[in-house]
Amino acid sequence: MLAQAGFVDVEVGSPVDTFGGASGEAKARLFEVFGYPFLARKPA
Amino acid sequence: MSVDSQADVAVDACQLREEVKSKYREVALDPHGKHHFHTGRYLAKRLGYDDGFVGSLPDAAVESFAGVASPFALRPLARGERVVDVGSGAGFDSFVAGHQVGPSGRVIGIDMTEEMLAKSRASAATLGLTHVEFRDGLAEELPIEDGWADVVISNGVINLCPDKPAVLSEIRRVLRPGGRLQFADIANGKPVPESALRNIDLWTA
Repeated sequence: MLAQAGFVDVEVGSPVDTFGGASGEAKARLFEVFGYPFLARKPA
Repeated sequence: MSVDSQADVAVDACQLREEVKSKYREVALDPHGKHHFHTGRYLAKRLGYDDGFVGSLPDAAVESFAGVASPFALRPLARGERVVDVGSGAGFDSFVAGHQVGPSGRVIGIDMTEEMLAKSRASAATLGLTHVEFRDGLAEELPIEDGWADVVISNGVINLCPDKPAVLSEIRRVLRPGGRLQFADIANGKPVPESALRNIDLWTA
């Protein structure tokens, strides 16, 4: 999706268990939902 | 891992926007209330933000934070950079950005929820941050001139936008050539059934 939008040098960081211990944890576990940091660059 | 499985799903964009506004109005006014996600200082610690800096912020600047990871995890911002925070909420990530870029930089937070904007502006005034400001606007129509930003940050916002290509195109418009997009968002390892994607209540639940 980022590449399609014209971004380059896309990096994805390590997953974070965003919802662990929260009331939304069960739904998050069902679909293996985690938080991620992303980095991308607009071409010069 | 999928971050774009919702991109082509036909949900009512206006209805979704109102649902999101309603949810985050609750987070602004009642940050310690019953939400399906963590908030505030506990969440900031869980996501790896700097304890020392977070500890220096007043409660109002942190308590409504509802991000999903850290947009600064892969690369910190540099002194003097110009930053746009898409969906700035009560301003927490904008204040982190303001700290990293320093007074020679500039941060503009954009949010569509009046209660969040009021809270972020009040915190910026309390902190005396003249290089951090907040504007009313949508992710799909950022009130920023072309090529203004060195960096665009966002946290847990793009997944709530039904037209992700439009949001990314708008982010690309406000970035200068060579500028960076640093954002945090959720992604699912297992596919979400289309019936669930069409259920607008589940987008914010």
